Amino acid sequence: MEYCAGCHGTDGKGGDKAASLAMTLSVMTRSDSELEQIVREGTMEGMPPFSQIGDANIHAIVGYLHAMEGSSASASAGAVVVTGDVHAGRSLYFGKARCAACHRINGDGGFIASDLTAFSQTHTADGILQAITKPDNPVAGTSRVATLTTIHGTRLTGVLRYEDDFSLALQTEDGRYHLLSKNELTAVAYSGHSLMPRDYADQLSSRELNDLVSFLIVAGRSSGIDSTPPH
Amino acid sequence: MPDAAPQSAPSPAGPLESPGLIDVKQGDLLQSPVSDNWVSYNGDYTGRRYSALAQITPQNVGRLSARWVFHPRTVSPLEVTPVVVAGVMFVTSANDAYAIDASTGKLLWHHARPLTHGLVDDAAVHHNRGIAVLGTRVYMETDNAHLLCLDARSGGLIWDVPYAHGNRNYGATSAPLIVKDTVLVGTSGGDDGVRGFLAAYDAQTGREKWRFWTIPAPGEKGSDSWPMDMYLHGGGTTWMPGTYDPSLNTLYWGTGNPSPDYDGSMRPGDDLYTSCLLALDPDTGTLKWYFQFTPHNLYDYDAVETPVLVDANFRGKVRKLIVTANRNGFLYVLDRVTGQFLVAKQFAQQQTWAKSIDANGRPVPSGLVPDEKGVEICPAEGGATNWYSPSYDPRTHRFYFRSLDACAVFQSKTEPFQEGRNWYATGARATGEGGQGYINAFDLDTLTFAWRNAQIGPYKGWGGLMSTATGLVAYGDDAENFVILDGHTGKPLWHFGVGQMIHASPMSYAIGGKQYFAIAAGSDIFAFALP
Repeated sequence: MEYCAGCHGTDGKGGDKAASLAMTLSVMTRSDSELEQIVREGTMEGMPPFSQIGDANIHAIVGYLHAMEGSSASASAGAVVVTGDVHAGRSLYFGKARCAACHRINGDGGFIASDLTAFSQTHTADGILQAITKPDNPVAGTSRVATLTTIHGTRLTGVLRYEDDFSLALQTEDGRYHLLSKNELTAVAYSGHSLMPRDYADQLSSRELNDLVSFLIVAGRSSGIDSTPPH
Repeated sequence: MPDAAPQSAPSPAGPLESPGLIDVKQGDLLQSPVSDNWVSYNGDYTGRRYSALAQITPQNVGRLSARWVFHPRTVSPLEVTPVVVAGVMFVTSANDAYAIDASTGKLLWHHARPLTHGLVDDAAVHHNRGIAVLGTRVYMETDNAHLLCLDARSGGLIWDVPYAHGNRNYGATSAPLIVKDTVLVGTSGGDDGVRGFLAAYDAQTGREKWRFWTIPAPGEKGSDSWPMDMYLHGGGTTWMPGTYDPSLNTLYWGTGNPSPDYDGSMRPGDDLYTSCLLALDPDTGTLKWYFQFTPHNLYDYDAVETPVLVDANFRGKVRKLIVTANRNGFLYVLDRVTGQFLVAKQFAQQQTWAKSIDANGRPVPSGLVPDEKGVEICPAEGGATNWYSPSYDPRTHRFYFRSLDACAVFQSKTEPFQEGRNWYATGARATGEGGQGYINAFDLDTLTFAWRNAQIGPYKGWGGLMSTATGLVAYGDDAENFVILDGHTGKPLWHFGVGQMIHASPMSYAIGGKQYFAIAAGSDIFAFALP
């Protein structure tokens, strides 16, 4: 972000100085080594060289370019050692731990919280454990719970999907989007939390937590998107 | 002259009335004409892209202004028609789907999916024309011909079914169509040697219910056009959504050109069922009737242009009709109960491939055959019209559509089919300036043009049309403008420069009594409303 966003935009979609990198064919069709070379040496079109930031950073930038195209090519979940009981973890996910009430995984589960199918492709085992036991650290921008008071005195509590100075979208647990202008509201109170229970460290034993993490790792491994031509 | 109300069927459940709650019932899909919600690619099953919304009129349209712009990540000009349900808009760009607050353009969710590498032709540029919706689920096709079922409330993937097999030249670019509890999907690849089909999937489970092959297998009717294994490569793809008449329980679906495009020597005879309109039973996939517009097509004249369902008085009798302007330069009126040909009107001013259309609707060929040297033929390979949508206004009986008057030099040489390559068997190049575009109003009562507006501008347009109950017609012109004109006179009333070529067809919706127009233009979705 600190190296690229100034010209290519904070979302990678380009700006007045440089082209879009997000899902751009000229980026997607190049190999990692070609992309790394461009970052390292710059281009004839005026992009400066970035060799000074070091190979590790250059490698990370190319990884981020793939992330913007939605590719999981660089996922390294396969290297994570699974130490828990995956079947027990699955039972917890769909049973006692009630993860599936809100989170979909490999097609099954709820909708109000994020899809966890590919979660382990971007999180380590420890990162997954932290996300379960300390869900508010931090709360994702699109998972914040808020209570709205309308000018008619109605109160609504749900997940704030977006908010700006003029309008917002609050999704209640029945799935309904409340698409409201700020003119229709007298108050927006932020809970500081997501909908996620904050006591999994107490509810589940360390063995159960390890089983759950193991299930999430394995589910992510088996969830490859087929992005090859028909065959 | 009264129109019988088309498609009036009882609603098993009421229309969508709860803002923000996406739960589309059969009754919502059967609403016609559409008003607040635009629930499918063409709005309703008739394909006429006519909205009952009446807030924006010829008198106040001058005050129309841009409300918001949404920018999805894009790799090629957007071809999507937005779908709007209960104030939530759904659009696609390549393999991505987005839900947007339709009053503000703000993102609610984004389903991201990587592009497929190694595709050919249209699929390789990752066009996608949108979603279908049923219940709390959204359906879309991917560039590599997978049918995705997403949760409409979150964008989460419920299932992912690859539906084209055995030939890597398949791809998909269309929006699916929902009929009852079935999702209908087709493919691209008709210029690339695939075998076309229409496939029906259970909307709940993703299980295949039936598959209609547009190229008959050996021994079946029409197979004499497909010697050896040619039936596996004959084209006839199904790359645009069809239309549906619930009262006749019939699905109407157009098929594309045969493969290879310009070389007919490998496919003698009529090449069934390419360049056809198919009437199918949506429950079984059984063919009820077909009508072939361009038998033994040598010019890339697909027949996927929307078969618009019209109930109207035709020559003194109220009939269930299909009206469609074909890429081959003729506008056709058919009886949609029987498939009987009623009339064809040439709308291409330059048309040389056919001498005439006979009493049964079959063209009398002029005998122009592409060869190695090149033969000038009109319309050009891009067609006298194309997939960009037409519209029919049931109050004025006018059929609005975009056309292009152009010719091309067609060259052909026999080439073998190869996976990973297109299979035009050579090509076509435009002659002159590339042609002249028109926005047309065809009067179904008189079977003549009420008006034809020559398009001015540096580009050859690919923008479709829609019409409204106040007599407005909306479209993208040839000069990067979104335009609204008066359907009675053809006079442009209002425009907004979107700064990008428009390759899509507009739609209209309303939230809390406020009417909007929306169109995909270049890399962005634009929405307009009165202040």
